[in-house]
Amino acid sequence: MKQIDKQIVLALLDAVEHDDQGRVTDLLDELTSIRETQIYQQLEALTKNLHETLDDLEVDAPILLHAKHDLPDIAERLQYVIHETQAASGKTLQAAENLSELLEELTLADDVTLDAAQQLKQQMNSELTNIMLAQSFQDLTGQVLNRVILIVTSLEESLKTLIARSKHDFEKIPERQYSEEERKAQEAKGMGPNVTRDAKQGALDSQEDIDDLLSDLGI
Amino acid sequence: MQINRDINILVVDDFSTMRRIVKNLLKELGFSKFDEADDGATAWPMVKTGKYDFIVSDWNMPQMTGIDLLRHVRADEKLKDTPFLLITAEAKRSQILEAAQAGVDGYIVKPFTAATLNEKIQKIFERVAERQKAQS
Repeated sequence: MKQIDKQIVLALLDAVEHDDQGRVTDLLDELTSIRETQIYQQLEALTKNLHETLDDLEVDAPILLHAKHDLPDIAERLQYVIHETQAASGKTLQAAENLSELLEELTLADDVTLDAAQQLKQQMNSELTNIMLAQSFQDLTGQVLNRVILIVTSLEESLKTLIARSKHDFEKIPERQYSEEERKAQEAKGMGPNVTRDAKQGALDSQEDIDDLLSDLGI
Repeated sequence: MQINRDINILVVDDFSTMRRIVKNLLKELGFSKFDEADDGATAWPMVKTGKYDFIVSDWNMPQMTGIDLLRHVRADEKLKDTPFLLITAEAKRSQILEAAQAGVDGYIVKPFTAATLNEKIQKIFERVAERQKAQS
């Protein structure tokens, strides 16, 4: 591969000194073309490396199996969790609202007969049972989420293996950097609950802390 | 302080469960007139009618965020004094400062309790009363 050497740089300097624009252009073109060739060669090497890494993988390599079988499932499984939790909170809220109406009925009634009281009690009991039964979603969604955690963890391992095989040092992959502007834009959009250790940085722990901060600002 | 409970309240949240919880809690506190919106973008045209005396909003919503809705309200000469309460999972210090700067009247972090909501509403309307007194 042709390298940029002292000779060509000196020739360029010489041409500039003699104001030989024709030669300056030719030499600059030559320099650029050497540089471009180097970049192409590097790219080629990278692509070849990636190809070889992928070729090395057996057809039943975990990462290929994940890509075909597990990944498409994850979204479906998580959708199920959203659906079930929503349905459960809907049922619970409905039962709580019904209970509150029954209580209201009891309060407003002038004189309640024993029979009517028994009937109200029965209805209230049945609403309480509904609330308890609605919580059974937790068993089902818990199982599904555990399965998703298993898939994601295993996928993470497979990706790390792939990175190692393609001769990259996982530990040397840089931290993700956000510019001040990007961070602000994310925060303005809203990021949801701060669940991860990383996200908890700069987050206030409790309503009390928030109240203190706002009270310092006169709110 | 006695709060006027006969006011129109707009509850804005993209999750219907959360709207329902907030409405039920407000009902328990004696309020009875509510409307709902599922995004800042759907809330804003409703707010512009001038119907609402109090806005309770989430922050993180797909089209228009609660903080943007708040800024819209504060920038409008007719609406700018409407009490605005954010109920949100967003809890970064910088976000709370941002909300304060935008003119929020109260900030509740999810999950929250009925007592917290009651306390914030009391505080907000006490301040509204003070403000009105100072203006008259």
